[in-house]
Amino acid sequence: MSSVVDPFNKFSYMESGSQRQHFSPYADNGGSVVAIAGEDYAIIAADTRLSSGFSIYTREQSKLFQLSEKTILGCSGCWCDTLTLTRVLDARMQMYYHEHQKLMETPAVAQMLSTMLYYKRFFPYYVSNILAGLDGEGKGCVYSYDPIGHCEKSYFRAGGSAGALLQPLLDNQIGFHNMEKVTVAPVPVEKALAILKDGFISAAERDIYTGDSILIKIITKDGIKDESFQLRKD
Amino acid sequence: MSILAYNGGAIIAMKGKNCVAIASDKRFGIQAQTLSCNFDKIFEMGPHLYIALPGLATDTQTVQQKLKFRLNLYELRENRRIHPKAFASMVSNLLYERRFGPFFVEPVIAGLDPKTFEPFVCNLDLIGCPNIPEDFVVGGTCSEQLYGMCEALWKPDLLPDELFETISQALLNAVDRDAMSGWGARVYIIEKDKIVVKELKTRMD
Amino acid sequence: MASERYSFSLTTFSPSGKLVQIEYALAAVAAGAPSVGIKASNGIVLATENKHKSILYEEHSVFKVEMITKHIGMVYSGMGPDYRLLVKRARKMAQQYQLVYNEPIPTAQLVQRVAMVMQEYTQSGGVRPFGVSLLICGWDEGKPYLFQCDPSGAYFAWKATAMGKNFINGKTFLEKRYSEDLELDDAVHTAILTLKEGFEGQMTADNIEIGICDAEGFRRLDPSSVKDYLANIP
Repeated sequence: MSSVVDPFNKFSYMESGSQRQHFSPYADNGGSVVAIAGEDYAIIAADTRLSSGFSIYTREQSKLFQLSEKTILGCSGCWCDTLTLTRVLDARMQMYYHEHQKLMETPAVAQMLSTMLYYKRFFPYYVSNILAGLDGEGKGCVYSYDPIGHCEKSYFRAGGSAGALLQPLLDNQIGFHNMEKVTVAPVPVEKALAILKDGFISAAERDIYTGDSILIKIITKDGIKDESFQLRKD
Repeated sequence: MSILAYNGGAIIAMKGKNCVAIASDKRFGIQAQTLSCNFDKIFEMGPHLYIALPGLATDTQTVQQKLKFRLNLYELRENRRIHPKAFASMVSNLLYERRFGPFFVEPVIAGLDPKTFEPFVCNLDLIGCPNIPEDFVVGGTCSEQLYGMCEALWKPDLLPDELFETISQALLNAVDRDAMSGWGARVYIIEKDKIVVKELKTRMD
Repeated sequence: MASERYSFSLTTFSPSGKLVQIEYALAAVAAGAPSVGIKASNGIVLATENKHKSILYEEHSVFKVEMITKHIGMVYSGMGPDYRLLVKRARKMAQQYQLVYNEPIPTAQLVQRVAMVMQEYTQSGGVRPFGVSLLICGWDEGKPYLFQCDPSGAYFAWKATAMGKNFINGKTFLEKRYSEDLELDDAVHTAILTLKEGFEGQMTADNIEIGICDAEGFRRLDPSSVKDYLANIP
């Protein structure tokens, strides 16, 4: 700094410095996923709203990715990571098919997904994943993940922006938690669908990142059936 | 982490047909460590008026004492019971007086009108902004879980026993998904000529 | 020194136990313009004389009957400037109550608080008692209320009363005329008749003021409605 004080610049004591523009590699695009598995079926559903902050990008974005005849992945969180993850996942499925000359079973996909997420342990895919499908014996199964590959097998799971709102409801209605004098049994598909829809209606009331509509995929040995259901759009 | 989530806790209040219910867990802890399973967060403020103060435990007790002080003066001065709406306004006032150094509590109020016995529920944020809805209010560290449960289970015109079942299921299943709430629960069902207090057994983990 | 005795407060007990300053204040009230208040079954009426010393006076510009809140009104006998200070304080206290409890101040509460102010002025240093008595009327929760507040801070609940010049005759007149099931219109009539007792000169809509309070709230009658009432006076 010059020792001569410039009388015309009252801010002459200020050094001009560089200002850092921070770049965040992650975005939160919201969205919720619910999966329920029964004896001979698995259903997975996700809302179709894609948003960022207070704005909505689209009201009709599917967040469900069919990986095989018997396996579907539901993703929410950072949408660009979702796209990359599912693209790589598809490629890995193809490679498996050509190497082994057979389709990958759901538990194998589940394990591979965990490995793929952990591979990026220090620059993770910012995605909440829920995998639903039929296992080798044709029984329904659900796997849920954290962004760095922790995997848990269960029969029902809610994830994404309204995960905290939906999960206790599923515990109660499907897991029969805190219920007395009930026989704990797998729920029939009709009941699972009804609870799922009710849950999403409730979640859309309080979570601004969940709404517009839901896409539901019902996986049975006869194939995959699609369904959609409207939610509030505000 | 927020000071509001230092001690943990969960609260709900719900309207029914000619009745209201208010419920809370009984945990008192410091962050993840549980210290007590019998910590009251709901306080009686009149024959049909209750307030719950989830948040920082020391402020729970201080605010309760300050409110009781103001309420006693009001009732002596005016020689009548306070209306829940006026009480909510009083709480709002107390909290806003500390606008720039707040008490870390987010009160939930439940009560019946002293004359018409109309149900009333209300909650406030830590600086006293009131919210007076037609159905239910929640508070504490698992408010997201509580909202999810209440939105799904609540319906209009619940009778006292149905209301008890609804509020209990909502509370229990919500606190089971929150590490900082649970360890026992207490439910108050407030009717015109009867107040029932029930202790709930919960998971203790 | 004799003056030392008065250096803390003007209102000091006389050897016989009287507070002569308060008695002088009451004398100031008794010398002031008369005012009347009557409680009817469906409301309350306040009436007062508002005579002008000169024909050059602009009538209906400075009022004696004042609204405190929507449902409370006030009038006085005694010294005008003192009254206006109390009106200001009463309005402020009513608004403060509304702010804290989000409900209108009960008339009894306002009276209590105004009386508290008046009492303070009998015991504080550097002040003198108010030279006014107040009539405060209000309507809360379906019931009419009428109070009188004296310079000492004493307050009374009346069915009907008179203050100021000739108040003894006024009260005697009211005792004869009052009945419990009076309607508001009749009460206005009776109030005017009471003022007329000992009224010097012709009573017109320009030299009396009337305020009424009922379920609709408090309002001062405009000269044309006062004129209508006067038309029915013999």
